[in-house]
Amino acid sequence: MDTLYTVLYDLSDWVLGLLAYIVDWTRLDFLSGLADWLVSEPVVVVVAVLLQALIYFVTLLLLGLCFIWMERKFLGRFMDRRGTQIGVLGFFQNFADGVKVVLKEHIVPKAADRGLFELAAFGILATSFMLLGCVPLSPQFYIIDVDLALLLGLAIFSFAPFSILVGGWASNNKYTLIGGMRAAAQLIALEIPLLLVVVSVVLMTGSLSFVGIVSWQQEHLWLAFPLFIGMLTFLVAGIGESERVPFDLPEAEAELVEGWQTEYGDVRWGLIMACDYLRAYIMCGLLTMMFLGGWDGPEFIWAEVWYLAKTFIVFFFFVWIRAAMVRIRTDQILMLGWKKLLPLAVVNLLVAVILKTAEVF
Amino acid sequence: MRLEERTYDKADHLRPTGYIWKSLKVTFKVLWRCTKNRPNTVLYPWERLVYPDNYRGRPGIILEKCIGCGKCAKICPNQCIEMIPIEIPELGKVKRPQVNVGRCMMCGNCAEDCPTNAMIVTPEFELATYNRMDMMYDPFKLQYSYKPGYEVNWGFALPSEMKAGGAKIYAKNDPLVHDTIVLEGPKCISCMRCAKVCPTKAIEMVETGELNPKNKKPIKHPKIDDSKCVVCEQCVEVCPKSALSVKEVL
Repeated sequence: MDTLYTVLYDLSDWVLGLLAYIVDWTRLDFLSGLADWLVSEPVVVVVAVLLQALIYFVTLLLLGLCFIWMERKFLGRFMDRRGTQIGVLGFFQNFADGVKVVLKEHIVPKAADRGLFELAAFGILATSFMLLGCVPLSPQFYIIDVDLALLLGLAIFSFAPFSILVGGWASNNKYTLIGGMRAAAQLIALEIPLLLVVVSVVLMTGSLSFVGIVSWQQEHLWLAFPLFIGMLTFLVAGIGESERVPFDLPEAEAELVEGWQTEYGDVRWGLIMACDYLRAYIMCGLLTMMFLGGWDGPEFIWAEVWYLAKTFIVFFFFVWIRAAMVRIRTDQILMLGWKKLLPLAVVNLLVAVILKTAEVF
Repeated sequence: MRLEERTYDKADHLRPTGYIWKSLKVTFKVLWRCTKNRPNTVLYPWERLVYPDNYRGRPGIILEKCIGCGKCAKICPNQCIEMIPIEIPELGKVKRPQVNVGRCMMCGNCAEDCPTNAMIVTPEFELATYNRMDMMYDPFKLQYSYKPGYEVNWGFALPSEMKAGGAKIYAKNDPLVHDTIVLEGPKCISCMRCAKVCPTKAIEMVETGELNPKNKKPIKHPKIDDSKCVVCEQCVEVCPKSALSVKEVL
C-alpha cells in the first residue's frame, strides 16, 4: 500500500537523483563526493521525513483553521447572528486575524519570569503540534504509526496543563496563576475517567495503535454501540480536557480575563488560540477513532474524507454544547469528574469486561 | 423565607434536564431557524431597518414658515441652535436658526416648541462628516422637503379645567389658550423696543390717554394681541425696565 511516506521517499529519491546527475554533469573536482552523498540512504530518508512533516503540518494547520471557522460560523448561527464575514462564507477572516496578530508587538510583563514565560508558550505549542503527528488521518496519511500511539497521544495531551501552570506562574499575575491552578485541578479530575474509557476500548480491541483499533471496528462493529456509556463519558471528559465551554475554567473570560493567557500577546497568543482548536480537534479525532470507526465507511471516497467528516460532526456537538451551556463552578467540575464520570467509566469498563469474557466478539 | 429552606421547584436550569437537554433544544431551534431563513443581523451599510414614521433624526426647517421667534434656540437642551442673521430676498435681513448637529441629541424639542411647525424632525441620521465645520447646518442647509408627519404635535389640558372636571384637550399652537405677556404699566417708559422686536407684529403701541407732564405728548403703552402672540418672550428679554412678564395659563 502506498503510504504518504513511501510516496515522498520515492519523490525525494528521484529529486536527489536528479540533483546528483546534475552535479556529476558539471565534472567539478571539489563536488565529486557530493553526488554520492546526495543519493545515500540517510539523506533521502531525512529529506523524505522533513517533507512528510511539512505536508502533514500544513494540512493539519489548515484543518485547524477550518475548525476555527466552523466554530465561529456555527456559534454565530446559534446566537442568531452572522459570524465571520470576510471572504467566501467568512473563511478568510481567520487569515486576516492571523496577519493581525503577527503584526502585533511582543510584550513581556516587567516582573514576569521571562525565560519561563517564553518557555511555557513554546511548551504548549510544541506538545500540541506533536499531538498532531500522533493521530493518523487514514492508514495511508499519517506521520508515525507506533504500537502505543494511543498511550503516547494521551501522554502528550496531558503535558499541556503543566505548561499552562508554568505560564500562569511566570506571568506574575493573579488571574493567570488562578487559571493555571484551575487547569491542573481540572486535568486531574477528568483525566482518570478519560483513561478508564480508553482502557475499555483497548480491552475490546486488544490494540493500542489507531490502525489496530479501527481495523477491529471494521471487522466487527463500531464501538459506539456496545460502549455507548463510554462514548458519552469520553465526550464530556474530552470537552473538559480540551478546556472548552462549559469546562473552560482555566480561561474563564468573564472572571479571569482569558485566564492564564492574559499576559500573552502577539503571535504567541494567536498560536496558543490555534492550539486550543487543534487540541479540540485531537479530542474529536480520538473519539472518532475509538467509537465511530475512524476512517471506516463505503469506499467510493477517500478514507481521510470519512474520518474528517466524522470528526467535524463530533466537533459540531462540541460547538453546540458551547452555545447551549454556561460555565460551571470549580467544585462542580470536580464533583462531576469524581462522582459522576468516574463511576460511569467504571461501569463502562465492566461492560467491556463482560462482553470480552462472554466472548460476544 | 430563610435561604437554607428555599427549594428550587421551578428552577429548571438547576436540574440536568434543564441544564443539558432544554438548553440544547433551545439553541438548536435558533440554529435551525436562522439557517433556514436568515440571522437577525442587519448588514447595515447594505441593508437598513425600516424606520418608523415618527422617527426623530436630525432637525430640519421649512424656511418659508419660520418667523424667527428663537423658541427653538431657547428650548434646545444642548444649546446647539443659534439664531444667525441671514439675507432672504423677500424679507431682507432676518434671524434664522443654525444647528450644530455634531452636538444635537435628536430630542426633537425644537420641533415640539415651534409655533408655526417650521422646525421639523427628519428621518436623516447618517451625519458623519470629515470635519466639524460641515456639522454646522446653516438655515439653508438645514432645509428638508416636507412630508406630513415630520412636524411634532402635542396636546395639553389646563389644570384648572381638570380640577373643575371635563378637561378639554387643546392643540399645541392654540391661538387663544396659551401663556400671556402682561405689562406692569407704571414701569413702562414707552421705548417701543418690544413692538420692534416682535416677530409676529402682535404688539401695538396705543395711547393710554395720559399726557407726559414734561413735553405734553400722549404716553403710549404696548398692547398685546393674544391671538397673534406666540409667547417667544423676546419682548420680555428686550424690555429695559422689566415691565413685561410672562403669565402662565393655568
